[in-house]
Amino acid sequence: MNQQDGYADDIVKGFIIWSMVWGLVAVLVGVFISFQIAFPQLNFPPYLTYGRLRPIHTNAGIFGWGIGSFMAFFIYITQRLTRTSLWSPALAKAQLWLFNVVIALAAVTLAMGMNRSKEYAELEWPVASLVVVLWVIFAVNIVMTIVKRREEQMYISLWYILATLVGVAVLYLVNNASIPVSLTKSYSAYAGANDANVQWWYGHNAVAMVLTTPPLAIFYYFLPKATGVPIYSHRMGVVAFWSLIFMYLWTGAHHLLWAPVPDWVQTLAMGFSVMLIAPSWAAVFNGYFSMNGQWHQMRENYLVKFLIFGITFYGMQTLQGPSQSIRTFSAFIHFTDWVPGHVHMGTLGWVSLVLFAAIYYTVPRLYHTEVYSIPMANMHFWLVLTGQLIFSITMWIAGVQQAAMLNATNPDGSLHYSFIETMAELYPYWYMRAAGGVIYLAGLLLFLYNIYKTITVGKAQAAVQPA
Amino acid sequence: MDSASIYYLGVTLFLFIVFAAIVARTYRKAHRAKGEEPKFRMMDDDQPKKHDHPET
Ligand code: HEM
Repeated sequence: MNQQDGYADDIVKGFIIWSMVWGLVAVLVGVFISFQIAFPQLNFPPYLTYGRLRPIHTNAGIFGWGIGSFMAFFIYITQRLTRTSLWSPALAKAQLWLFNVVIALAAVTLAMGMNRSKEYAELEWPVASLVVVLWVIFAVNIVMTIVKRREEQMYISLWYILATLVGVAVLYLVNNASIPVSLTKSYSAYAGANDANVQWWYGHNAVAMVLTTPPLAIFYYFLPKATGVPIYSHRMGVVAFWSLIFMYLWTGAHHLLWAPVPDWVQTLAMGFSVMLIAPSWAAVFNGYFSMNGQWHQMRENYLVKFLIFGITFYGMQTLQGPSQSIRTFSAFIHFTDWVPGHVHMGTLGWVSLVLFAAIYYTVPRLYHTEVYSIPMANMHFWLVLTGQLIFSITMWIAGVQQAAMLNATNPDGSLHYSFIETMAELYPYWYMRAAGGVIYLAGLLLFLYNIYKTITVGKAQAAVQPA
Repeated sequence: MDSASIYYLGVTLFLFIVFAAIVARTYRKAHRAKGEEPKFRMMDDDQPKKHDHPET
């Protein structure tokens, strides 16, 4: 334990470092598979094919980079907001080990082709069972820390943290219910349309409980810390939190519009998805209004730039998402490259920008030093922003063109283009996406180098200081 | 609509009422200062508190 501050911070360092390792893996594999789409000859069966590598990319990104850093910041934030040290640092240490074992096992089993064929729930039952153990350890430690807290009323970030812990547990258990037939194969406990409904109830709430509530917890904590000014309205944060929780649960079926699930379930999902704009934008405005009188910090404070652009992408994401949930719009963009455009504005724009800021803020403090290079951090910002925008915008244009071609009909009602003709048109966009990915990767490498140097300088300073 | 659908909508309605109650409680006039207090307190959290009692 880092006793200097009285908080258990060594474990936070471990999670931050490992999440960055998995983040690098995710982006490297992501860039590689973008090249595989553009240049199919880069597929090397059986292990290095797009089909095997794509789930490795998403699992490393969402679970390795995302969950890994959420674990770091939940531990960091919870201790500070409760003004008490972590309930069990030893348990957290075991959690870090198990986390890395699980992610490594996920990568190996997916490369070997073991896959439940459920998106974001691909891991076969032995690995999925370890995930459950991991989550229980994590949740118990955080909840017990909150229980022994020394502040009565909880700051908004703690509400988001608790929602994540409970939400992920429920979603994961329900959607992973399966009947094992061997050590490496299981079948879902649900069948047909029910299975699809459960899967997308899980899938969209993974967006809610993994890609929304944790970064919001982190955003609400680090924005005031970075600006030095409290958030605009705590009560607005609380109301937005409860409405977000209330609405998200019903939206999963917007992934199944026009599919054979009951019509009213689709309509309900559509309605709640549109209503979600309200709580989402309440968070966005809370962020913007917190900047009243502070907008000059966008120029002077690189952390604020990451955070405000992050919440802006969240805002755009939560306008685009509800539009995609409307039947007519969905019919147009579903099954097109529009969707990866949406996904990556969320993951590379919203989630990652907020995480970068949180890492830049915490690492120098954890190692009692300054960040190694602010100009490098600024360069990192512009590279990842440019890479992500090239990626997303290219995919939206590609998606619209693809949708228009897929929908084009002749006067007799037959399709105007064959499927392969629609595919062939997409190559220029796929080259652009790969280029955007390379730019993003360059930004990420700069970030990793900056953090590496910050840590080594911090350690060197600590070594020369008298004990 | 079958009974399952009515049940589904019933749960939705119940949750909506709970939500409306939360909004009313959060925005009560009397709750204003207390509701905003955590945002000021979180600005200073560099050290754990020495005592276990929230009021200290
Ligand atoms: C109001 C909030 C949001 C709504 C209503 C929404 C809606 C949607 C819809 C309808 C789709 C399916 C598109 C299709 O395949 O036809 C989708 C996909 C997706 N969204 Fe969003 N979205 C929202 C916010 C977000 C956020 C904040 C993220 C964060 C990264 C995100 C990440 C994703 C992902 C990962 C998928 C891909 C799922 C797949 O693999 O098919 N969304 N969203």
